[in-house]
Amino acid sequence: MSIVPIIEFDRVSKIYPSGSGPITALHEVSLRIAAGEFIALIGPSGCGKTTLMRLIGDLEQPSAGTVRVKAKSPDQARRDRDYGIVFQSPVLYAWRTICKNVELPLELMGYPRQQRHERAMSLLRLVGLGDFSQAYPHQLSGGMQQRAAIARALSFAPSILLMDEPFGALDEITRERLQLELLSIWAESDPRPTVIFVTHSIPEAVFLADRVVVLSPRPGRVQRIIEVNLPRPRAFETREDPRFFTLLTEVRECLRAMEG
Amino acid sequence: MGYDASRADPGTAWPVGTALRRVLPVASVILVLLGLWEGSKLLFDFSDQRLPHLAALVEAMFTPTQGGTGPLLLVQMLVNAWATFRIALGGFLLGTLLGFGLAGLFLRVSVLERGLMPYVIGSQTVPILAIAPMVIVGFGRLGAAPWAAKVLVSTYLSFFPVTIGMLRGLRAVSPQSLDLMRSYAASSTQTFWKLRLPSALPFLFTSLKIAASASVIGAIVAELSAGPREGLGVMILDAAQSYNSRPPALYLAILAAGLVGVTFYSLVALAEHLVVGTRRAE
Repeated sequence: MSIVPIIEFDRVSKIYPSGSGPITALHEVSLRIAAGEFIALIGPSGCGKTTLMRLIGDLEQPSAGTVRVKAKSPDQARRDRDYGIVFQSPVLYAWRTICKNVELPLELMGYPRQQRHERAMSLLRLVGLGDFSQAYPHQLSGGMQQRAAIARALSFAPSILLMDEPFGALDEITRERLQLELLSIWAESDPRPTVIFVTHSIPEAVFLADRVVVLSPRPGRVQRIIEVNLPRPRAFETREDPRFFTLLTEVRECLRAMEG
Repeated sequence: MGYDASRADPGTAWPVGTALRRVLPVASVILVLLGLWEGSKLLFDFSDQRLPHLAALVEAMFTPTQGGTGPLLLVQMLVNAWATFRIALGGFLLGTLLGFGLAGLFLRVSVLERGLMPYVIGSQTVPILAIAPMVIVGFGRLGAAPWAAKVLVSTYLSFFPVTIGMLRGLRAVSPQSLDLMRSYAASSTQTFWKLRLPSALPFLFTSLKIAASASVIGAIVAELSAGPREGLGVMILDAAQSYNSRPPALYLAILAAGLVGVTFYSLVALAEHLVVGTRRAE
C-alpha cells in the first residue's frame, strides 16, 4: 500500500512467561493497516489474534519490535482516546442505566452533562436502543447489551475500533443482523473508523472485512492476507454471492493448510 | 427480545399479598418460638426459676424499678437500649470509616497489606473481653470521655469485617472492565469512584451487616467494663446478679440486646435496599 498506514507492526513478537517455560504468542509480525480499513483477524484458538488486538490498544506491551498507531506509540494513542473497544462480553456496568453506560467514556473525558446525554441518546437510537435508554443492563437480551456496548465504544468517535469477537456469544440470527448493523454504522460514520475485528468465524470475517488477516497457530505469524473484493454496501444477498463462497473457501483452505 | 416487564418490576401486582407474604413467616416463627418456650416448660417441667412464664416477662416489663419508686422496667430498658445503640452507632460509623480507609490503602499499596494484614487479623483473635477494660481504663487515665472509650471498643470489633469485605469488593472487578477504563485513559481516581467502589457495594453491605451486629456486641462488652452505669451491658450485669430473686429481668435484658442488634441490622439492610436495590448481577 502506498498510503501512510494508521497502524503499523514492525517485526512484533510477544512472549508470555509461564510455568513450563516462555510461550511465544506472536512471532515477528509485520502488518500495515490503512486508515478507514475494516480488518478481520482470524486464526485457530490461541494463535494470538486477541494479543495482536491488545497490542494495538496498549493493553499489552510487545516483547520485541514496535507498534505504531497514527505515528505515535500505542500508549500515546490511548491517552489521546483513539480507541473504542468492544469485548465478547458487553461489560456494561450493572448499576448504570443503558444511557449512563454509553455516557461513561464522555463522563470520564469531562463532557458537559447535556452534551453527553444527547450524544448517548443519538447513538442509542442509531443502534436501535432508543426506547431502552433507561433500562438496566440485566433487563436487555445479550444482543441488545452488545449493541449498547458498541454505542458506548462509538460515543467519543474514536478513530480506531477494536472488536474482540464481539458477536461470539450471540445466536446466529442476531449475529448476522448485528454484522449488517455494524457495517451500516461504520459506513455512515464520518470519518470512518479503522476497525480491527477479531473473530473465529470465517463467514463473519469475509462478510465484514476489506482484508482478512489469517494468523498461523502458535507462535502466531501472519500466514496470509486475503483481499475481500466484495462490493459495498454489503447486504444479506452478499452471503449468496458466488464470490463470497470463493473467498470462504480460500480462507478455509488457508486455515486448513496450516494444520497439516 | 429480552425486555421482560415482569422481571423489571417485581411484586407490585399484589401489594396486599406481598405484604402478607412478608409478615406471615416472621409472625409464624414468633408464634412457634413462643409455643416452644411454654411447651418446653410444660414438657420438661422447668421451674419458674429456670425459665419464667412469658406472662411473667410481660408483667416484669410493667413493674416499676427501684422497689416501686423508679420508672417501669420497660422504660428503663428502652433508655438503656438507646444508650447502647448510640455507642454502637458511633463504633459502627468509626469502624466503617477505618475499614474504608484501610481497604483503600491496602488496594493502593499492596506492601502495606502484606505488612499490616496479619495485625488486622490478629486483632480479632484477641478476646474483646480482655481488650475492653484496658481501653476503658487507659482512656480514662488520659482524661477522655467515657463514651469515647466505649465507642472505641465497639470500633475495634466493627472495622474488621468492613476492611475485609471492602477490600474483597474493590478487587472483585473483571479484568475487562479495568481494560475498558484503561482504554478511556481514566485516572486511577476515576477508576476507583466510577468502577471499583460501585461494584464493591454489594460486598460492602454484607460486611456492614456483620459490622452492625459486631458493633452492638462491642458496645455491650464495653459497658460491662466500667464507666457510667448505663446501657444494656450494665442491665445484663445487674440482672444476672439479681437473677435468683428476679429471673425475668435477665431474659428481658437479653431480649432488649437482641432487639438493638436486629434494629441496627435492619437499618443497614434498608440502606442497602435503597442504594443497590435496583441492580442485579450482570
